[in-house]
Amino acid sequence: MGSSKAELTWHGQPFADRIARLLIRATGGPLIVVTAPEQEPPPLPAQATVVTDAHEGRGPLEAIAAGLRALSADAVAYVCSTDVPLLHPALAEHVLASADTETDIAVCETDGRLHPLAAAYRARTLPEIEALLAEGQRRPIALFDRVPTRVLNRSALLANEAVARLDGSLESLANLNAPADYERAHALELPLIAVERFGLLRSEGSESSTRTHERAATLGGLAKAAGIELDGHVVAALNGEQVTTDAALPLVAGDRVSFLTADGGG
Amino acid sequence: MASVTLAPPGYFGSLLEIDLTQGSRSSELSPQLLRDYVGGCGLGTRLLLDHAPAGVDPLSPEAPLIFTFSPLVGTPLTTSAKFAVVAKSPLSGCVNDAMCSSHFAIAGKLTGHDAIVIRGACSGPTAVVVDGAGVRLEPADELWGLSAAEAEARLRERLGSRYRVGAIGPAGERLVRYATLSHDGRHAGRGGLGAVLGAKNVKAVAVAPSRKVPSADPHRVIELARELRERSFGAATAKYRELGTLANLLAFNALSTLPTRNFKDASFEGAEALSAEQLSTLRERTRASCASCTIGCEHIYPTRDGSNVRVEYENVFALGPMCGVADPDIVLEASKRCDELGLDTISAGGTIAFAMECAERGLLSASWLRFGDGAALLRAIDEIGVRRGLGDLLAEGSKRVAEEIGEDAATFAPHVKGLELPGYEPRTLQSMALGLAVNPRGADHNRSGAYEADLSGDLDRLDGGPAHVAAAVETEDRAAIVDSLILCKFLRGAFAEPMHEWAGLLASVTGWDISEAELETTARRVVLAKRLFNLREGWTRADDWLPERVLSEPITLSSGREATLPRERLVGMIDEYYERRGLDSDGLPTPATLAAHGLETH
Repeated sequence: MGSSKAELTWHGQPFADRIARLLIRATGGPLIVVTAPEQEPPPLPAQATVVTDAHEGRGPLEAIAAGLRALSADAVAYVCSTDVPLLHPALAEHVLASADTETDIAVCETDGRLHPLAAAYRARTLPEIEALLAEGQRRPIALFDRVPTRVLNRSALLANEAVARLDGSLESLANLNAPADYERAHALELPLIAVERFGLLRSEGSESSTRTHERAATLGGLAKAAGIELDGHVVAALNGEQVTTDAALPLVAGDRVSFLTADGGG
Repeated sequence: MASVTLAPPGYFGSLLEIDLTQGSRSSELSPQLLRDYVGGCGLGTRLLLDHAPAGVDPLSPEAPLIFTFSPLVGTPLTTSAKFAVVAKSPLSGCVNDAMCSSHFAIAGKLTGHDAIVIRGACSGPTAVVVDGAGVRLEPADELWGLSAAEAEARLRERLGSRYRVGAIGPAGERLVRYATLSHDGRHAGRGGLGAVLGAKNVKAVAVAPSRKVPSADPHRVIELARELRERSFGAATAKYRELGTLANLLAFNALSTLPTRNFKDASFEGAEALSAEQLSTLRERTRASCASCTIGCEHIYPTRDGSNVRVEYENVFALGPMCGVADPDIVLEASKRCDELGLDTISAGGTIAFAMECAERGLLSASWLRFGDGAALLRAIDEIGVRRGLGDLLAEGSKRVAEEIGEDAATFAPHVKGLELPGYEPRTLQSMALGLAVNPRGADHNRSGAYEADLSGDLDRLDGGPAHVAAAVETEDRAAIVDSLILCKFLRGAFAEPMHEWAGLLASVTGWDISEAELETTARRVVLAKRLFNLREGWTRADDWLPERVLSEPITLSSGREATLPRERLVGMIDEYYERRGLDSDGLPTPATLAAHGLETH
C-alpha cells in the first residue's frame, strides 16, 4: 500500500483509531494495541494500551502473545489487524460470545480460509502460544490444532441476527491489502445512521418527523450531514447509551444517534 | 447601651422573629454570620440550626418556619428575585430548604429584614402581615379552604396591591406532608413547608416594602446586570425560553433516564404525546417570567376546561410516566389540581405511583387505582388534597405509606429520606445516583445537579466511580452558592467560571473583598450545616441510600444493554464522598472539618 496500514484513513479517520474505538464499543475494553519494537504507535483513543512485540519479525503469533500477556488470565480477547476499517462491532461481539467456556479460540472462516486475525482468543492459551513460538512457529493456525477451537464459517456467522442484519456481506473480515481493496472500501456507501433530534434541535431541523436517516462514518460527519453543529451546546447519545461530544466516534450500520441540547435537566 | 453593628451593603443586618403567641422582635444578624452563609438556603440553614429546638416535631408550634432573602434580591441582576423557605420537613424529618420566586422576594426583603422566622401557632386561621408599621396578625377565616392563588388575590384586595403574599392551599391546611407554600403561582414546593405553616393556622404571609438597601458599588452592579442580561438571551438559556424544562422529557426518554411506573422502567411509550416538542406544536401556549428575570422559562398551557397551568418537566414526569398516564389532558389537569390544592407534584406523583403498584400487587385495598388510569390519578389527587378516603394515608408520603403497608413495600417506595425521587433515573445517571443518595434534603435535583456531569459526555453515566463523586461534590457546592446568593439555576450555563463570577457579583453588592476560594469554603460550610442539622435530628449513614429497587433491578436500555447500580458501587461512591467532604466513615464530620468551617460548637 506504500505506507503503514494503521495510518491509512477511511473517510478521514485513521484505520487504527477507528478499529480501536469500534472494539472498545464491542467489548467495553481494555484495548491492547501491539506494535513492532521502535514502531511509532498510530493515532489511538486514550483508552488504548500500547505494547510491543518481545521479538521483532516473529509474525502475528508473537503479536497475539504480546497482547494476551497484557490481559488478565481469565480474559477472552477479540484479535484483529489494523486493516479492517469496515469492522462491525456486532461481528466482534458474536465471535467473542462464541468462545464459550469450553472453547479457547473462536475463529472466522470464509470460503475455506481461516481468519486468525478475526478471532477470539482466551488468555489461557498463552502457554501453548509460547511453546509454539519457542518451536519457531509464527502462524496462529498452528495453535488451532493444540487447543479447543471453534470455527465460525459464513453460515455460523450469519446465524447471528445482528451480524446478518448489519454486516450481511461480512465486510468486517475485509482486509485492505492492496490499493484496489482500498479503493473498493472507499467506494462503498457510508453506513446508514438513524438520527433523532430533541428539543430545540428538532424544531430547527429540516425534517419534522421524529427520526431521519443520514450516511456518515463518524459522529462529526453525521452532525455535518444533519446540519447540526457539535458545539458546547449540543451533545449526542449513541444507541441510547453513552452521551458524547466526540466527533471522531466511529459509526456503523444500524447505529442510532440522538442529538440533544447539552443543558439536560434542571 | 447596646452597640449596633453596621450591616454590610446589600443587607439590613436584621432578623425578624415572629412568635404567633408572644409577639415579635427584631435582632441583629452579625456581618460575619451573613458573610459565612450569604443568604437564601445558606442563611436559612444556619438559622434553622440555631432556632429549631433539637428533636422538634415539624408540625408543632415550636417548630420555626424561616423566610430568607439575600444580598442580590432587589438588585437589577437578572433572576435574583428569589427567596428561600427553610424548616424541618414533616415529610423527611430533615432540613428542608425550598426556593420560590418573584415579587414576594423583593417586598419581603424591603420590609427591612434579611430573614423572618415564624414560630408558635394561632388559635384560628390567620394572615401574618409585615410592613412598615411592623407585624400584625389578621383573621383569615374567609381565606381558609381557598387555593393559595385565590387566598393571595383576596388578601391583596384587602391589604392593597403593594402587598405580596405567600400562601398555602387546602393541602397545607390539612397538614399533607408534602403541601407547598406558594406565591404568584410558583411554589416553594418540596418537603411540606405548606403543612408547617398550616400547623400554625397561618394561611398566608403578606409583606410590603418600606425600606431601601444600598449596594456597595451601584455602577458596577448595573454594569454586571447589563452583561448578565445579555448572556441570559444566549444559547445557554435557549431551552428554557423556547420549550421550558419539559424539553427534558423526550430526550430523557431516549436515554432511558425517564422514571416510569414507579421506577419499574426508564422509558415511556407515551412520552411523545407529553413532550414539549409535541405540546408546543399542537397547543396554544403563553410564556411568563418571574420578577427581575429575562429568561422567561414558564410555559403555560390551557387545560381542557380552559384554565391555565404552568408546565414543567417534573410535574409532567411525576403525573405522567411515573403513573403510566399518557393523556396530556389528564396530566395537565392533574398538575392544575396539585397547584390548586397546594401539593408538591413530585411527591404527589411519586406517592400515587407507589400506591398504584401496591394496589396492583394486592398490598393496598384500592382496586380502582391502577397504572395508566387517568381518572384514578385525578381521584387520588383530590382525596390527598383534603385527606379523604385513601388520600388520608397517601397524604403521609410514600415512606410512611410503605411502613403502614409493611411486607416488602419499602423496597419499591420511591424516596430517599422520605422525599420522593425526582425524574432522574439513578441507574442510568450514576453521578446523580450519588447526589440523590447523600443530599441532606433527600432525593432532590435542585440541591444536587450531578446529572449535568452524567449528561455532559465527560463520564460514563452507566458506571459510577471516583470521577462521578467529584462531579457530585462540585455540583452540590455550586447549588449551595446559587441558592444562597440567590440566582436562578437556569442561568448557570451563562457562567464560564461560576464561583469566580459569583464572587464578583457578591462583591459588587456587599463591598466584600471575596474570592472564589472563600466562596468554595462557604459552599462546603452550607452543605456541612445541613448535614449537622440532620445529624442532630437523628440521621445515620443508613439514610444516605437509595431505594432497594434501584439497586437490585436492572434497567434495559433501548440498545438492549442492561444498566445496573450494584450496592457495592454505591457504597464505594458514598465512602469517597464522605472522604471528600471531611466526614468519617459513618458520615460524621471530623473535628477538623467542623473547625475549618466555624461549626465546632455544633
